[in-house]
Formats: sequence, structure tokens, C-alpha cells
Amino acid sequence: MIGVISYLVFFATVAAILGIAVLGLNLQWGNTGLFNGGVVASFGAGAYGTLILGGTPQEGHLGGFELFYPLALLGGMAFSGVLAWVVGKLTLRLRHDYLAIATFGVAVAFENVMRNATSVTGGAQGIRGFERPLRDFLGSGFAYNLVFLIAVVVVLAGVYVFLERLTVSPFGRLLRAIREDETAARSLGKAPDKLRLTAFVTGSVIIGLAGGLYSTFYAFVSPQDVLPILTFQIWAMLIVGGAGNNKGAMAGAFLIWGAWTFSGWALSRFAPIEAQLYTGSIQFVLIGMVIVGMLLWRPQGLFPERLVVSQPGGGSREKTQAEGLT
Amino acid sequence: MKKALVFVAAVAGMTALSTGVQAQDCTTKIGAALPTSVDWGRPIAEVAQFAVDQVNEAGGAAGCSIEMVLRDTQVDPKVGVDAAKALVDLEGVKVLLGAVSSGVSMPILSSVTVPSGVMQMSCCSSSTAFTKLAEEGKTDGLWFRTFATTAVQSAMGAKVAADKGWKSVAVLYKNDDWGQDMAKLIAADFAAAGVEVTASVAINDGQPSYRAEVTEALGSQPEALYLALYPTEGTSAVREWLSLGGTQNMILANSLKSDEFRDNVGLQYLGSALGTDTASPRVESANAFKAAYTAKFGSEPNGPGLANSYDATMIALLAMEAAGSDASGADIAAAVAKVTDPSGKPVAADTAGFTAAKATLSEGGTVMYQGATGNVRFDANGDVSAPAVVWKFTDSGTEEVEYLSLSDVDAYIASLK
Repeated sequence: MIGVISYLVFFATVAAILGIAVLGLNLQWGNTGLFNGGVVASFGAGAYGTLILGGTPQEGHLGGFELFYPLALLGGMAFSGVLAWVVGKLTLRLRHDYLAIATFGVAVAFENVMRNATSVTGGAQGIRGFERPLRDFLGSGFAYNLVFLIAVVVVLAGVYVFLERLTVSPFGRLLRAIREDETAARSLGKAPDKLRLTAFVTGSVIIGLAGGLYSTFYAFVSPQDVLPILTFQIWAMLIVGGAGNNKGAMAGAFLIWGAWTFSGWALSRFAPIEAQLYTGSIQFVLIGMVIVGMLLWRPQGLFPERLVVSQPGGGSREKTQAEGLT
Repeated sequence: MKKALVFVAAVAGMTALSTGVQAQDCTTKIGAALPTSVDWGRPIAEVAQFAVDQVNEAGGAAGCSIEMVLRDTQVDPKVGVDAAKALVDLEGVKVLLGAVSSGVSMPILSSVTVPSGVMQMSCCSSSTAFTKLAEEGKTDGLWFRTFATTAVQSAMGAKVAADKGWKSVAVLYKNDDWGQDMAKLIAADFAAAGVEVTASVAINDGQPSYRAEVTEALGSQPEALYLALYPTEGTSAVREWLSLGGTQNMILANSLKSDEFRDNVGLQYLGSALGTDTASPRVESANAFKAAYTAKFGSEPNGPGLANSYDATMIALLAMEAAGSDASGADIAAAVAKVTDPSGKPVAADTAGFTAAKATLSEGGTVMYQGATGNVRFDANGDVSAPAVVWKFTDSGTEEVEYLSLSDVDAYIASLK
């Protein structure tokens, strides 16, 4: 029993960290309509930034500044934000699939830089030697994981509340206005370019925060952590959960990550012994089927976006997209 | 009536006998987190299961039959760590085999096995970062790997070049932790052996063409080419190298000891290619693995990590046997020394060897496991050294050119320092 709880705590921690990243992507795609194909670059920037700033000195590469942990995490987020600002300046003129291709390219370039810039990032060996905060105090067993989970859930809740308030604010309405019709927004005297950049950087900082927490949890990061598969996973979570809905984004993270890991566990337990060697491939097929099935039968996601229409007199009325309010 | 009674008695007697032979009704689980969804990862898992089957034929380890619970890592650190955590928490394993990639093994070690006190034995993770981690005392002695080859192999590569009189060598290496380590080590070893490295070029996975990389290496006009690559990329790179008129003098790391590579490049171009590998010790019993593998799978064990995976599994199970039932991960890790004791009784790598080891261990003795990669002996950091062999390709597989015993290897490595 204690084993099950211990595993669930571990699972929930990873899912919650991914949930934070999905919330960040939801701000970019769900609310602003920015097709970010390079989620993993922001995630990786946060992860690498945190470990380089907060780790112990290691031979052969930069890092080991041993900063106070919250500062290291903030530094990782800042690194992620700066990277997003530069990328955004260069690519946000592009729309839709072109933006996706450009940002995907940035993410691949990011992975290659991490892999080859040995003197900065440790190259393919990655960065280790990070001391997890409060470890001396809590040990490294179940208690630590539990406290870490609570901390991550608090951060997740904080990001959620922040984004919920943001999306109902005038700023949030503006983002959706840009998403729906940029020309119309411009005709009202708004500056779409600036707003798109703001949303992109904010979303990337949130994804970078997830990356920082992720590398803290594993006390390790290597180029294998920033492969394009992560971008795909986070996108799948958002699509399944429901783009434009923050609750959906979080639910998607838990569901997809749950399906991803549960399918592996179930196959290892129930598949016949001759098929055990092939369960890895079967698992990929199952995950693919879940995503394709969602796209076919519930393309709006489990929790569709709820649009709030401001009414004269201060009241507001909710409509789902299905009612034709787009 | 009498006949019927005799029959019943006979049946009862046989039942009693057969339960006596089976001896154990319990099952102990061990975990394996290996990349089974990747083409080269599946055989590694297959050979681990093969070792488990052999041990079960010998009656299991520590009084119970062994069940290996296999999980796929997808070469994704998140997935691998989650799989390892599930194996430790949900299946209650005390021994974890894996992973293959260092980038997966490392987070498993730091966030799952060490905090949970589970022994981790990797077949194939080669990063030098593990040695540093162990030196810092952060593995709690729970980490082992049977991949002996980085330091031994780079030294052997330098020896081949020096013996052949090749004065300049270009290096193509796989751009991952193993390849980067190899490139660094081989550059130092070549320099020490008086061979000039004219170019050292990284090869990224999965590119459709390596013309740019190959041209860069070719432009430095080396006398020979050193390849620290896997078969797929190795094939593409060597084809381009040869088609651009590169030399056929090649030195191959053990990752290219593969039929796939030989067939796809063509044996006629590999006449002056020499490979390096760690080797089995020169005793009769050491061929047991090769023979048993060939009998089971119908081909020789050529492919990255197969022998290492077999040894990892066998040593883990021997250690479980030595530690006895209800042992913790730390107990099993401590027992590894008992089954790889150089002064112990030598045992072969097969069912009979395991049975013999059981007998010796039950009398309180120690054994020296003679495995598929040699007389495996771990140092304080969980690293291994091993004898080495220089090989070349033949019609049916590979053939040994030169054998160096463990002391020869150690002496040669020392001479390079």
C-alpha cells in the first residue's frame, strides 16, 4: 500500500510539473493562437538555467554558482523569458504553421547547442551535481517526494489562478481578439505585435518554470530531456484537455501522462510473456490511438473553452464554442 | 483393488517427488527498464530474459524462481524514471537492470534507486559522469555497470593504430555521451601513442546524409579512420567515406561489431578494418555464452550491449543468491563482491555455472563469475575492466586477430599515461 502511495506521489509530481508547462502553452495557443512548436526550448532553458545557477561546481563546464534555490529557479525562468523574447522578436511575424516550423527549428537548434556546447552545458553528459533544496532536512525518501509534490501543486495552483485572472481581464480579452481577428483588433487601435510578444514571453516563462521544477526533481538534465517528443507530449495534453480552458489544460496533463505511464504498467503486468518484448511498440500504438480518437470524436477537448461575453451593465453570460460563438 | 492402491500410492509418490524437485513455490521479481521500443534495445532485453531463464532452470536464485518485469524506457528520461519508480514501488523489486542510455540511467539513479536503496545494474551506460558520481559517494554503492569498454577500447584503438604504423587518424564519433567520451579518450590515447588526430567529427543520429561530416574528415587526409558509431549511422558514414575515396584502413569500436554493419557496407570494403572489444577470458567455460546464445537465437551474439546485458543480469542474480532471501538492495549490492571475487571458484556463464555457484555460495565460499564479457570485476565505483581483443569481419561473423589478457590491457593503459 505504501508503495502505491509512494508511486502515486511520484506520478502526480511529474504530471503537475507537466501541467504547469501545458498551462503556459495554453496561454500561447489557447488564448492567443500562437502555434508554438518549440515548447521544449523554453522548458529546456528553464531546466538548464536552474541547474547551472543552483548546482555545485563541476569540472569541465560552466555552472556551480550554488545560488539560493528560489533565485536559481527565477534565473532559469528569466533565461527562458530572454530566449523567448529573442525568438519572438524574430519569428512572431509568422503565422500559424510557419510560426510552428520556425519555433520547432529553434527547439531543435536548442537541443543541438546543449549537446555540443560542452564547456557550457556539459554536452551530451548533461548537468549533474545539483543538491535538491531541503534535502538535508527531509532526507531523500518518501517525505521529500511528498513535500516536493505539495510545493509543485502550490505552484500549479498559483499559475492557474494567475492565468484565470489574466484571461478574464481586459488583457485576456485582447489576446482572444487577436486570436480571432487580428485586423479587427488593429482597427480598434490595439498593437497586436506587442501583445503577441507579451503573451509568448509570459507563456514561455511559465513553461520555463516547469522546466526548472523538472530538473530540480531529477537533479539532472541532459540533451535527452529536450528532445522534440516533449513538445509533442505537451501539445497532446493541451489538445486532449481542451485548448483555451485552463482546467482542461491541467486535466489533459494528468490524463495523457497517466495514459502514457499506465499503458506501460498495464502491458508489463498483463501482456503474455512472449509479447513482453514488444510492449514498448504496442504502447506507442495505444497512445497514438488515444490522441487520434480524441481528435476524431472530441476535437474541442474534454473541457471545451468557455467564452465569456461582457454584457452592458456588468453581468456576464457564458457560452460554449459549440453554440457558435467564435 | 490392490492395483488401484498401488497406482494411487505411485501417483502420490511422484507428486511428492516432483514438488521436491521444484523446491520453490515463491517468485522474486526483478525489474528491467530497457528501451524495448528501439530496434537495438529489444535484443538487449531479450538476452536479459535469456539469462533469467537459465537461472530459473538452475532452480532460481535465493530460493525462489525469478520473474523479470520488463518496462520500456522509450529512451525518454521521464518515461524511464517513471517505469523504474513503478517497478520499485508497485512491483517491489530490489534489483533494477538498466537503463541503456546514460541520460536515462542517471535520473533513475539519482531520483529512484539510490533514495529507495535498490541496486541498479546497467549493461550499457558508459558516461564517465557515473564514475564521478560514485567518487563523490552519491551512489551508496548501489550502482554497477558491465560496460567496460570506454577506457579499454580507446586504448586498444590507439594500440591498433600504433601496431599498424598508421601515423594519422581521423575520428568520427556518435554525438552522444558515449561518443563524446570516446572521442575525448581516443584523442588522448592516440596522442600518447604518437598518432596524430587530424580531425574529430561528431555524427548526429538520423541524418539522411553525412557528406559534410565525412568531407571534413577526409579533407584532413588521414591514413586511417577511427569509428565510434552505431551500425545505422556507421553504415551511412562509411559508405560516403568510401565513395568519396577515403581509405579502407579503419578502426572500429565494439558497437560496430554487428552483422548488419558488415552486410550493409560490404565485406569486400572491410578487409583492412580492425575492431576492438573487451573479451572473454581464455578458459573453456567462457564460450558457454556464445554457444548457448547461438543455440537459442540462431546467430552469434553480435550487436551492441548483448554480452554486457547478459553479464549484468547474471551478476545481479548471482548476487541475489549470495545475499540470500529477503535481502535488501544494499545487501545484494554488497554481495556483488562475493560473486566477482578474483580468488573465488571460477564459474561459467550458464545454467551449470549457476548451479555450481549456488553450491559454493551455500558453503560460504566465494565465486569468480566468468562471463560473456570476461572475468568481470568491479572497482569501488562500480566500473569494470576486462581483457581485450582485436577482431576483424569474416563471412560468418567476426574473427579474433589478437588477444590481450587483463594484465596486458592494464599494462598498455599504464604505458599510455
